[in-house]
Amino acid sequence: MKVVFDWLDDRSGYRNLLHEVLYEKVPGGARWRYVWGSCLTFAFFTQVVTGTLLWMFYSPSAQTAWESVYFLQYQVWGGWFLRGVHHYMAQAMIVLLVLHLMQVVIDGAYRAPRELNFWFGALMMGVTLALSLTGYLLPWDQKGYWATAVATNLMAEVPLIGPAIQKIVVGGVEYGHHTLTRFFALHAGVLPAMLIGLVVVHIYLFRKHGIHVKEPRPKKDSYFWPDQILKDAIACMAVLLAVVGLTIYFNGAPLGPPADPANEFPARPEWYFLFLFQLLKYVPAFWGAVIIPAFLALWILLQPFIGSSRPGHQLNVGFWWTLIAGSVALTLLAFSEDRTNIRHGAALEEANWQADRVFSIVEHQGIPPAGAVTLLREDRENRGRILFAAHCASCHRYNGHDGRGYPVDDAQSAPELAGFASQEWIEKLLVHQHYISEEYFGGTAFKDGTMAKKVLAKYTPEESALLPDIARLLSDMAELPYQDPLSEDERDELLALFYNDEEDFQDGLACIDCHDIDSEGDGYAPDLTGYGSDEWTVAFIKNPEEERFYGDENDRMPCYGRDEKLTAEEIQIISDWIRSRPAEE
Amino acid sequence: MDEEEESGRRKFIRVATVGVSAACGIFPLAAGIPALLDPVKKSAGEAGAVPWSRITSLASLPEDGSPAKFEVVQERVVDAWTTYKDVPVGAVYLSRRKEEVVAFNLKCPHLGCAIDYRKQSNDYFCPCHNSSFALDGAITTENSPSPRPMDTMETKVEKGQVWIRFQHYRPNIAEKIPLS
Repeated sequence: MKVVFDWLDDRSGYRNLLHEVLYEKVPGGARWRYVWGSCLTFAFFTQVVTGTLLWMFYSPSAQTAWESVYFLQYQVWGGWFLRGVHHYMAQAMIVLLVLHLMQVVIDGAYRAPRELNFWFGALMMGVTLALSLTGYLLPWDQKGYWATAVATNLMAEVPLIGPAIQKIVVGGVEYGHHTLTRFFALHAGVLPAMLIGLVVVHIYLFRKHGIHVKEPRPKKDSYFWPDQILKDAIACMAVLLAVVGLTIYFNGAPLGPPADPANEFPARPEWYFLFLFQLLKYVPAFWGAVIIPAFLALWILLQPFIGSSRPGHQLNVGFWWTLIAGSVALTLLAFSEDRTNIRHGAALEEANWQADRVFSIVEHQGIPPAGAVTLLREDRENRGRILFAAHCASCHRYNGHDGRGYPVDDAQSAPELAGFASQEWIEKLLVHQHYISEEYFGGTAFKDGTMAKKVLAKYTPEESALLPDIARLLSDMAELPYQDPLSEDERDELLALFYNDEEDFQDGLACIDCHDIDSEGDGYAPDLTGYGSDEWTVAFIKNPEEERFYGDENDRMPCYGRDEKLTAEEIQIISDWIRSRPAEE
Repeated sequence: MDEEEESGRRKFIRVATVGVSAACGIFPLAAGIPALLDPVKKSAGEAGAVPWSRITSLASLPEDGSPAKFEVVQERVVDAWTTYKDVPVGAVYLSRRKEEVVAFNLKCPHLGCAIDYRKQSNDYFCPCHNSSFALDGAITTENSPSPRPMDTMETKVEKGQVWIRFQHYRPNIAEKIPLS
């Protein structure tokens, strides 16, 4: 073995080089405060290796980006772990960057003769942030898509060349194939190559000037190997364990529903950019995109000179602490504003629902060549929610919300439709206090109609006791998929309750005095034949002013079919969706 | 601290340093090894049944048994994340033997070139490396480049329709082993 190493050393001189690398002097002994640079190098190394492995699975196009990430996450052995490590190490890198920067600032390691290296460090920070930004888009899910659109819109704020820069980065005006191919080339090619070059220069310059020692020196001088390397390695291991812990705890990196420009999503950047996001609520975009970065760049350029005097150094330290404190405050503010915003919470819930929905569809039928986004767009369940929210929810509610979980600003002025025509729903409808409440007809003219005043308000206790049976009978006509149909015997038994000889029942409960049920249409109230069934519901949504329904008594319900507000297919989807499940408890 | 103790401590530090550094260094690659090996794992675990594909009607095949070439269209093909419908996955020669049908894969068992049917000599011929085969698929070349006869596939005739189980096999070996 020794012969081989001797031969290699003769030809390469590697022993000298290794000696040079390992026996760098550490004045004042190894210290924990020096570990951050090594940790960052380790983090970057991890990103290069895991990133290259991810590359083997990723396909950058609008129809395959999300799909290939989904495949990696859910179908490839250990894919979720690989992706999770890359995702959380990226976040660890940002934390390490701040720690490294603050160590350099506090120790004064940015001052002469290390100015150049400080600037290189700042450049590397910029490249790392660019890596984060470009990586955020690549899964092509809603989150990355909408947030990155904000970031690229900010680019257009740069005077004169801004719009051109934006077009170059996006690969056109709209997000699409070329946005992904460009972001991927930047993320996996250009930026890492730049960073590797910068790391080499950074370490070379660091070695040239040696460690900047923070006084007082705690111990006698030692060497990089093994004392400092041990501390570095332990710190790297701690970072690694934290990343693995996060990966396992969160089951890998998140993957939202596929990107869809027609499906709104509240854009939020990754947490370490949240302070900028929050800042843009207070200052014009131009400030965020141009003035603040330019000021920061100028400060970094001047910092080594400002810091040459003691007060100047204190100013620098104060500047960075203020910046960090401000960023932390803005970040917390952003989080707390989102947490108290009900609509934001509903939007996140909705995105989770969509993600779960698309996963379950993919599991059953696979992803078509047109991409997973088409699955969600064509999904009748999803379309039902969207159509209800858009066309019904300004008056009606569904489980108290708009069908998708969002609260509705307008007051409720038409019945709650979750569990429509089910036994429970009808039973409640027939109780006067519910009928005239907002949950049913309290917001309509029917509140003061015959049904409310002359019928429901006048039930005797004996009649009220029969309401569950009426509801059961009526509800059976709806043929709801989640309700068991009545057997012949049950139906006969229930009917016998109303068509017996004692006249009292018939007087108070005679629905058929006004409503038609399986009879020739002479009742003036809505025809209840097949009430709540597919046919009845579709026909009702199409034209509630039809003679068999409200006729000219219609309060405000639009005639969606007659007036061509919705297509026949859309009406069918809404009806199917409303009738598909019981109300939530 | 005596010298021996000091040198023991130094040794421990060295070993610990190398150990922890090596663990950190190998981790990123190790994190991706399962994903990297996924194709091997899947092919070992998922040797599922080959689906039947309908090719043509029995009536459309010449009764004299001379071969005709057909495209094989599979109803559902899954390529990683994409599920395709009705995808041409290859081609076959079908020959009628009364009420039954013999199917040969178009691909030469040698290295996968497309085999021609020669009408004049009424045999199969691979234009790449000159393997030739009889109508029953047997090798007819001396020192044949192809190590085995043409690859047959399972066929059935149902209600006048010809169905086959289309398969590819490992090239250039004497045994016929399905690719999976």
